[in-house]
Amino acid sequence: MWNIINFEVLRALKKKSFWIASIAPLVIILVIGGIEYFSTKSAATNAAQQAQTFSATAKIGEFDDSGLLSQQLLTKQHIAIEPSKDAGIEAVKNGQLDAFFYYPNNPGKSNIEVYAQDKGISFAPPYNAAASQLLTQSAINDVSATIKNSQVIQILQISPAVTATTYKNGVETEGFMSVIAPGIFAIAFFLLYVLLASFMISSTAGEKENRTAEMLLTSVKARTLIAGKIISIFILGLVQLATISVPLLIALLYFPSQIGLPTGVTLASIPLHPTAIIFAALFFIAGLLLFTALLVGFGAMFPSATEASRFLGVAMILAILPVYAIQNIIDAPHTLIVTIFTYFPLTAPLTALLRNAVGSFSTWEALGSLAVIIASAIVAVWFAVRAFRYGSMEYGRRVGIKELLR
Amino acid sequence: MRFGSKEVVKNLSFTVNQGEVFGLLGSNGAGKTTTIRTLLSLLEPTSGALLVNGKRYTPEMAPMVGYLPEERGLYRNEPVLDTMVYFAVMHGLGRSDAKKRVLAYLERVGLGDKAHERLIGLSNGQQQKIQLGVTILHEPSLMILDEPTEALDPVNRDLLMSIINEQRTNGATVILVTHRMEEVEQLCDRIVLLKDGVRALYGTVDEVKNKFGSTVIALVYSGTLPPNDKLYAITKQLPHYAELAWREGVTPDEILRFFAGSPDLHLTTFDVRRPTLNEIFLTLYK
Repeated sequence: MWNIINFEVLRALKKKSFWIASIAPLVIILVIGGIEYFSTKSAATNAAQQAQTFSATAKIGEFDDSGLLSQQLLTKQHIAIEPSKDAGIEAVKNGQLDAFFYYPNNPGKSNIEVYAQDKGISFAPPYNAAASQLLTQSAINDVSATIKNSQVIQILQISPAVTATTYKNGVETEGFMSVIAPGIFAIAFFLLYVLLASFMISSTAGEKENRTAEMLLTSVKARTLIAGKIISIFILGLVQLATISVPLLIALLYFPSQIGLPTGVTLASIPLHPTAIIFAALFFIAGLLLFTALLVGFGAMFPSATEASRFLGVAMILAILPVYAIQNIIDAPHTLIVTIFTYFPLTAPLTALLRNAVGSFSTWEALGSLAVIIASAIVAVWFAVRAFRYGSMEYGRRVGIKELLR
Repeated sequence: MRFGSKEVVKNLSFTVNQGEVFGLLGSNGAGKTTTIRTLLSLLEPTSGALLVNGKRYTPEMAPMVGYLPEERGLYRNEPVLDTMVYFAVMHGLGRSDAKKRVLAYLERVGLGDKAHERLIGLSNGQQQKIQLGVTILHEPSLMILDEPTEALDPVNRDLLMSIINEQRTNGATVILVTHRMEEVEQLCDRIVLLKDGVRALYGTVDEVKNKFGSTVIALVYSGTLPPNDKLYAITKQLPHYAELAWREGVTPDEILRFFAGSPDLHLTTFDVRRPTLNEIFLTLYK
């Protein structure tokens, strides 16, 4: 079996396509994360800069029904006070003003209204930002004048960080933090299945296409060969996971703020509950074994990897179907749909991983689902061995399930 | 052996002796490949058993068997060396020993510089040499070659013939599955011939010829071949070739004297011989 594993793993590792597929998710994560980080940062900076530039150069008028605006600030920013809301709007219409801001009686409940010259869609944000900043700054100035506490002023100027502690039945819970560790298994399962599905199918369909099955079956038992192929796929999966997760772990350890990790959240602060982790690992391994064996078996039934791949979509949809019921899995785990997904073999792995992660699983339910997945995986391996044993020599023809069961 | 309602091999029984070249013959669809696949436990027999050294074949016996299947193939996208070593290790060789043997074999067949090239980059003839190498690299004591010369170019056919001869000299047993009778005559000690899944002939080549075919006179001539129902019957006639079966009580000498007195017939060959396996095969399948 070692010979099979060695050959299968090395031949995959030597392929560029394997590394492209392995690195692609990481690159996508980094590119999207980077774009989001820089665009959020630059958008905020741009908006503030544009608002400042706009306030300094544009002809602006305002009418304040709230009485909250600082006269000092209005004077400093050369903002004219219009006699009424209608007069301000008219001044914009006839071009006397670039923009007119109307502050209603209670800006906390009603919107600030902005009337301005149209200078294209991209120019709209500075009006809004300037109108909003004017009110905020006026309020801060007002508070500063009465409260001589720099901390209060600072709190008004920034968004204060929050650390939440929640309780269930009087016992402290970890909230979202508790989802992270077991949730990683669900993400890894999903990722590996998507990345390796076509590899699973082609591992046996390729033998059929290459006409090598007959020679192999005279040298090695079908079950040894299938076991070797499944172990190889698992090893390749681990390589792909490592390719993706090692750089991410380094980023989490050394650049937590740059990758948008909330303040106070570190790797060390992620809770690790042995029961949840053990269940997650078991669901992950058994679930992956189930789908690997199933797709390896499918590969042996069809005359080519291309033909077998037509059924890949169905297998893929069934496996990720639980994602569509995620809201029920979190909030209403005992609805009929979640129960069906929990015990139906093809939807059970991801449902179980998600329920285990969000903590909506009782131990008995988890054991029941695990039993279903393990039993299904054993049947799938048996099916894969039989499909390869009897299907791989039927060159150029698809072998039916009935034929395999005979 | 039965596939669904169709019985493809019926009541077949034969023995292959150690050290001989045994021909498993028959036309396409006669049941040859099914028999071999059953012998190698790739198919389950409906009844009966095929045994290798008295035991049902299992993959543990792979080191002693070299199998060249009718449906041939290798990993076309993998390097030659990796592929050959993989199969050699499958047949019980150690990795380093396998590598040495592969490189030696590649040198022998003129492909020493192709060890690290992918199979897909090799010509058909070169790929055939690799396939032969995979079959014999572990020096099997039993070689099963299913239609081995099918699609082989003359160079590789000659290589295969010399390999078979070499293995036989070294004491290996060879089962040759084929419908090419000239190869059988050149190589085989004994044969079994299948027709529609049934054993039609079995024994040494001589026994089969003696048992089945009657001796014929083969003529190569020009002019006109005169008919003579009292002396012979013409069993086959082409413009300058004919085969005659002589009547009971008549000798070939009498026929030759008759031809000598025929002014319009000029003989270049008058050969009294036993029928070839090909002729027996054709007669059997008519």
